[in-house]
Amino acid sequence: MSLKQLSAAGFEEVIYDNGEPCVVIFSRKECHVCKEVVPVLEELQPKYENKFGFYYVDVEEDKALFQRFSLKGVPQLLYFKDGEYHGKQAGKVEEDQVEERIADILE
Amino acid sequence: MANSYDLIIIGGGPGGLSAAIYGGRAKLKTLVINKGAIGGLVNTTREIVNYPGYGQISGPDLMKDFKKHAETFGVEFLKGEVTQTNFSQTEKKVVTKKGQEFLAKAVIVACGSEPRLLNIPGEKRLRGMGVAYCATCDAEFFEGEDVVVVGSGDQAIEEGMFITKFARKVTVIVLHDEGILDCNKVSAEKALNHEKMEFIWNSTIEEVVGKENVEGVKIKNLKTGSTSELSCQGVFFFVGMVPSTGYLKDSGIAMDKRGYIPVNELMETNLEGVYAVGDNRVKYLRQVVSAAGDGATAAVAAERYIEEVNDFNNNVLQSDKKVLLLFFNAQDNESLKYRAALEELNEKSGTDYKILCVDMATKKNLAEKYAIKTIPSVVVLEKGTEINRLEGLEESLEGLT
Repeated sequence: MSLKQLSAAGFEEVIYDNGEPCVVIFSRKECHVCKEVVPVLEELQPKYENKFGFYYVDVEEDKALFQRFSLKGVPQLLYFKDGEYHGKQAGKVEEDQVEERIADILE
Repeated sequence: MANSYDLIIIGGGPGGLSAAIYGGRAKLKTLVINKGAIGGLVNTTREIVNYPGYGQISGPDLMKDFKKHAETFGVEFLKGEVTQTNFSQTEKKVVTKKGQEFLAKAVIVACGSEPRLLNIPGEKRLRGMGVAYCATCDAEFFEGEDVVVVGSGDQAIEEGMFITKFARKVTVIVLHDEGILDCNKVSAEKALNHEKMEFIWNSTIEEVVGKENVEGVKIKNLKTGSTSELSCQGVFFFVGMVPSTGYLKDSGIAMDKRGYIPVNELMETNLEGVYAVGDNRVKYLRQVVSAAGDGATAAVAAERYIEEVNDFNNNVLQSDKKVLLLFFNAQDNESLKYRAALEELNEKSGTDYKILCVDMATKKNLAEKYAIKTIPSVVVLEKGTEINRLEGLEESLEGLT
């Protein structure tokens, strides 16, 4: 299942209003590393249904969002819980690294 | 078996996709296993101007055309990363990270290369925080900032110029003496005259500095040995590539110490039925067009090899009659005379052997398998097992009567 894309408004709602524990991948269409990491999240998603959210931000469509987190590259995985930022992972991230981080946050 | 193929191609770049086109067209049941986006590293190239027939095209667009072409010939695609292989049997096995197993009669290694790391302090830690390897992906994040580019090959200089669209200034760190760049002349001239590009010669970088994000680099002058610091917000590394063949370390495939696989003209590795193409093999030119050529060669070689294996299974190993496997040279008169004599003898003596001729010029694998040294030679097989061997005409004729 593909990841739900967030616009700036959607981002506010999911992260800050709902405080959902989740990971947001900041990505762009032409980035080859992103194309490797997105499927990793897509496959993990069903396993964490109703427990942990998986979202997608396109940095070309929503510039303001990446500027806000002063990101310096894609892909970046940003983790959130209760409206708080819980760190990020950059570059070619493997499945077990994501799962480890999710486990930490859900603890 | 559902997971059994004639040909498995590991990698979906230009080499792998060209092999897939040839394999599919030859009616081989062909599977391409690719871990990322189809197209491989070609996807990182914004503009390709030297692939014949395409005046100018983007890397991803060209690769889409390659894939579409392969699909018209019925090639199957699987997204996955091959992590294990077993090439010791006639039926070769590849296993993906998720544990899916596939069998094939022949395998083409076409998994390309990845950016080389300098392994200097800060490089890994600050990856994605200012350390970058792909300008298409990340240049935009450095709007109005200072960026350092390490390297002076085509990629470094061309990507460096692309980064100037966003960055305030791009400083290129070059190993060589002033004015010498490794890239093509057209790009070198443009870059050297570019108002936003600066060059630091005879130098390399020792460390990427920064707490959360990149704040600067330590530059070492190789001539004077002196070190200086340059403040910047981004560092792009373009210091060459390394083949992504690490997963084949224990496969038995011979590699050089950098991980490149030596092959012969047919793209054959040291293992029967296993081929290596494009960026995975030892070669002179690493371009889309040359990778495509490799793919075609490997697929045709694989096709002939598979035909040989199938033939042998059907006509020799599963034959009810005893088989005389005659190794000979079809262009040699003596060999032809010998074959005639052998056939005549078989008929006269009523021994009813099945005679199978193996031309040494085209069936090298079989000759190797039976360690044939001289021609003509005859191997006598019963249900696939060697029961006798006869060398030279006289001996053969005696042996059979």
